[in-house]
Amino acid sequence: MKILVAVKQVAALDEDFAIRDDGRDVDPDFLIRDLNEWDDFSLEEAVKIKEGHPEPVEVVVVSVGSDEVDESLRKCLAKGADRAIRVWDAAIEGSDSIAIARILAAVAKREAPQMLFAGVQSSDQSFASTGIATAAFLSWPHAAVVTSLTYSPGAESAVFRRELEGGILHEVEIQCPAVLTIQLGINTPRYASLRSIKQAAAKPIEVLSLADVSLGAADVGEAGSLSRVRRMYVPDKGRAQLIQGDAAQQAARLAEIIREFKGAAA
Amino acid sequence: MSGVLVIAEQRRGELRPVSLELVGAAQGLRRAGEEVTVAVLGKTPEGFVKALSVAGVDEIVTVKVPAPEFDPDTFESAVGALIAERTPDVVLVAHSVDSFGYAAALTARLGLGFATDVFKVERVEGELVATRGGYGQKVNVEVDFPRRGTVLLAIRGNVFKAPEQAASPRVTPFDAPQVASRSAGREFIELSAGDDVDMTTAEFILTIGRGIGEEAKVPQFRELADAIGATLGCSRPIADAGWLPKSRQVGQSGKTASACKLYIAMGVSGAIQHLAGMKHVSTIVAVNTDAEASIFGVAKYGIVGDVFEIADELRRLF
Amino acid sequence: MSRTDAVTRILFEAFGAAEVRLFYLLGYAAIAVFCYGVYVQIRKYRRGAALKLEGSLWARFGDMLSSVLSHRTIDRRDRGAGGAHRLIFYGFMLLFAGTATITLEYDILEPLFGIRFWHGGFYLVFSLVLDVAGVALIAGLVYMMYRRGWMRLPKLDYARPDRVPGDPDFDRPQYRREDWAFLWLLLIIAGTGYVLEAARLVWLQGRADVWDTRWWSPVGALLAEGMRASGLGAQGGGLLRHGLWWFHGLIALILIALIPYTKVKHIFTSAASLMVRDRLAAQRLPRVPDSQAEAGAAKITDFNWKQLLNLDACTKCGRCHEACPARAVGAPLSPRDVILSLREFAQATLESGVVPAAAELDIHGKAPGQVAMETLWSCRTCMACVEICPVAVEHVPIIVQMRRKLVEDGAMDPLLTKTLQTIHKTGNSFGESKRKRGAWSKALPFPVKDARKEPVDVLWFVGDYASFDPRNQKVSQVFASLLHEAGVDFGILYDGESNAGNDVRRVGEEGLYEVLATANVTALSSVSFKSVVTTDPHSFNTIRNEYPDFGGKYEIQHYTTLLRQLFAERRLQVTHPLKYRVTFHDPCHLGRFNKGYDAPRELLALLGCELVEMGRCRANSFCCGAGGGRIWIPDPVGSEKPAQNRMKEAAAIPGLEVYVVSCPKDLTMFEDALKTTGNEGKFVVKELIELIREAIPARRAEAVPA
Repeated sequence: MKILVAVKQVAALDEDFAIRDDGRDVDPDFLIRDLNEWDDFSLEEAVKIKEGHPEPVEVVVVSVGSDEVDESLRKCLAKGADRAIRVWDAAIEGSDSIAIARILAAVAKREAPQMLFAGVQSSDQSFASTGIATAAFLSWPHAAVVTSLTYSPGAESAVFRRELEGGILHEVEIQCPAVLTIQLGINTPRYASLRSIKQAAAKPIEVLSLADVSLGAADVGEAGSLSRVRRMYVPDKGRAQLIQGDAAQQAARLAEIIREFKGAAA
Repeated sequence: MSGVLVIAEQRRGELRPVSLELVGAAQGLRRAGEEVTVAVLGKTPEGFVKALSVAGVDEIVTVKVPAPEFDPDTFESAVGALIAERTPDVVLVAHSVDSFGYAAALTARLGLGFATDVFKVERVEGELVATRGGYGQKVNVEVDFPRRGTVLLAIRGNVFKAPEQAASPRVTPFDAPQVASRSAGREFIELSAGDDVDMTTAEFILTIGRGIGEEAKVPQFRELADAIGATLGCSRPIADAGWLPKSRQVGQSGKTASACKLYIAMGVSGAIQHLAGMKHVSTIVAVNTDAEASIFGVAKYGIVGDVFEIADELRRLF
Repeated sequence: MSRTDAVTRILFEAFGAAEVRLFYLLGYAAIAVFCYGVYVQIRKYRRGAALKLEGSLWARFGDMLSSVLSHRTIDRRDRGAGGAHRLIFYGFMLLFAGTATITLEYDILEPLFGIRFWHGGFYLVFSLVLDVAGVALIAGLVYMMYRRGWMRLPKLDYARPDRVPGDPDFDRPQYRREDWAFLWLLLIIAGTGYVLEAARLVWLQGRADVWDTRWWSPVGALLAEGMRASGLGAQGGGLLRHGLWWFHGLIALILIALIPYTKVKHIFTSAASLMVRDRLAAQRLPRVPDSQAEAGAAKITDFNWKQLLNLDACTKCGRCHEACPARAVGAPLSPRDVILSLREFAQATLESGVVPAAAELDIHGKAPGQVAMETLWSCRTCMACVEICPVAVEHVPIIVQMRRKLVEDGAMDPLLTKTLQTIHKTGNSFGESKRKRGAWSKALPFPVKDARKEPVDVLWFVGDYASFDPRNQKVSQVFASLLHEAGVDFGILYDGESNAGNDVRRVGEEGLYEVLATANVTALSSVSFKSVVTTDPHSFNTIRNEYPDFGGKYEIQHYTTLLRQLFAERRLQVTHPLKYRVTFHDPCHLGRFNKGYDAPRELLALLGCELVEMGRCRANSFCCGAGGGRIWIPDPVGSEKPAQNRMKEAAAIPGLEVYVVSCPKDLTMFEDALKTTGNEGKFVVKELIELIREAIPARRAEAVPA
């Protein structure tokens, strides 16, 4: 039985970042890369299923990106994934989440897993689309924002709860195989020690090209995307009026604000 | 392709307010002579007609479906059929948990233009341009949709204004094709009240975030909140860690501080999901050691300093 | 030939041949039991991992001998125990040497070579010395009994903080029984020895050479007078002597036989432990070889033979228990009980013929003999335990090795996990961008050299707290100004510096430590400098003692020695002497770890301050509680923190004006504790650098903006 987990290496902005010359993205020198926070949870959920059942379950992680991504894949291997797959081709540059989903679906067709997990969204671009779009390309049942899951490996259905606005949960039963996007807080992701990450370097990362997954340049990049970035810019931030002084003075002003509010409310 | 199609959201018999915000957003996208159509799906969709009869809505389409609550396969199929029949220029859905469950699948299958979490939409030289956030909401990104006929946009909540005036749009039923849904919704579960506090009615809230560091510090802030007369709230990490009950979480998957007039955020960075629950509050005071924290972007007053020092000093004054 | 020439004691006098043979048989039996016991113990140690000792065995032997003979390790912080143990030790050694001398003549020299020396003057002096030795032994034993039974010393209380009442191994009555049995056994042996001596005198009162020389055994002679006075005759004396001889002989043989099975083995294990000590045990932790499959100690056999020997050397003296700051504030850790638990575990598993299966060798947990997670995580790695242990038990490396296993398993507080991930990602524990590391220097009116770009004389390794924590940034700015005014050519690494890794290593994340150490060594290797200075004792310790293992050997000093040197060279001069009454808190990693007690005190004297020492100062300084990664682990709600305990100690100094620290973590912890113990307004906490600044006010133009 196999669970495929789609992961993304996200980028956070460093101090004093600058926008690229073409105005459509940030200068890569200022990007700090790390595994997407949601993917910690989706990977942990898959590994928990593997460890919680006697039947053999293989957890395979897949990501789209250049060899920079290998570092995050190694972390996944250290955290309990059995195999890692990376897909890259220069043509993939400029892909939106739908184009990425097309690639992930192609990998899923190759791997034939019984379940596919992804994170609800990525912490950098927050499309919240990749997992569900992948399901469409596979024509699989799907659900988003899963906050608790009951599933036996290879079972025909699973019961989960989706986390709605306002803190309400909706319990749902879904046919499997299915694509589920996993929400933060579903479990406690384990710590991968540096040593285990180093040892995971022994596990291979399979690198696939577009041809390996039967896709062409027209399926990915801008051509395969449903939107295109025109411009990226730093917005004028609405600035708060900063209260100056030492802690006592600042607290005094805050106390004034509180008393004004209470006076008005009275 | 013409007209704007809005997909309303309903849950447990109530129309979700974001539906009317979408109507508000639609007005700016309507070209001369075009109509704004609102579709509502449900077991008894007619029940929502009254709530949707507001200025700016030309037509309400009621779609009867077997499932009373949201279901991905049902929505995908029904909305897809509607789009095929009505050929709108723009489709607006909310950027919400429900739309997370189907919008991307629909656009992927139909090849529609697609962008999510959009907070600004305009036409530039006839072309649709949507603006969303990037790199953790630190930058703005303008996207367009070359060669796409219909564009589906998931609109961020609490940005566009809902129209207030009533109106009398025409109502048309729509026969959604039969579809065998592959998932079945069961019950709704309210998380245990914890301590019976209702953040949605509190007028004065003191919220603590990751900046307070450890659980041992929570009692100090609980005491401070009591002293100044505020209801103690928290951001997601605090509730996830179990330091305060989930009922006290303010944010997208927590509570909205609907009645709040004064909101003090201590040690809260201002992640977009938290802002969703409180940025509408008229007076927000943010206290954080990081001058670049996003919370300062929505706050009226800011204190860049040590939350514990400020908390201590404030406590002294009450 | 004079009568005294011939005087001696006839061994086995009036014993039948069969009796003598029986005695020898029992003697050999006792020795056999002893040897078997020794074999079992050595086999146990050999079941641990291998270890190669550094240094020459002869030097180690000499070192050990000097420690043992001087008793300096037992004397420290307990003169009473030191004195009494000296009496016991020398008394027992002399008595043992005496018996050995007799055996030498009787069983070897006389029968084989016909040599006799134990008679005449030698014999008489011998008798006197041994009588005195016996008195010393008994005096020491009596004091120890008084100490154990009446003085109610807290360190001898076996109640343990890492178990709760109800746990099977919470109370350990078997320890108390053994302690008292040992004392009484020795006392009885010594006592019966004298009575036996007296009885022989009474029995042989008719023999002039015996009776006339009896005062050479004064105690025996006194007792003999008493016996005669109460009516005991020669025959009675003979019977008493015969019976007592067997009694005394038997219990002595039992003692010998039991040595390897009881507390008595400390005679050998403690000495051996002293001989194999690692003088840098806590300062320089061992690497995990790449070839090793699992990092850390999961099973008892993951410890090396030296550590297993350490476990047996412990005599439950309780000094480590008393010194431990975690224990002092009620945390579930006593270094003593970690060692004793593991000792019991080793005894239960490694002393049988076959070593049990791996699953039964797991030392982590709450069953008897195991050590719980909460216990291991309570440790501040302040090495107070290692420093005071009279028998060189090395607790800290044992705890760190067990932590390594916990880290591999992810068994730690979520906040600690998060901090380790943050350090890995950004190279510092604050989660700040690397680019902001040198930002504190921008407020200075002069530029601070980037050592990556130009050569410098002194490379200042700043450290995380001094770079990113606002309070400590001020101290960094002052130090930079002082160096600038003294004309020191210095620079910093800016973004090239990462967390030095001292605490990451002590948390047990050895993999991350290697990443950090390698990164720093690489950064330093491309920099041209003569020496390194640091304001952070933790960085000081690891760069000085541990970086050489990673290819980085540098001349490094803590700022206190550099500033002292600058004052000595008159490059800095005090213009406004301070008259404060101060006390100095020795930072663990500068003081106890690296013996840096003097430079800060000399600086305080130069400033004109009146130094009043706290009770727990210098090597006995009481840790602020931030070490061992504890600054990244939340304290339980409502418990006292070590820093608060320390503040109360300082507050007891009448008229104290300044509590002086010289470590960024100390500054953070103690400023907080000053408030929470209600001492704000009574005295202040200041970094030594800040005091120096006060004594050498900056010229207006060079003042650092507030």
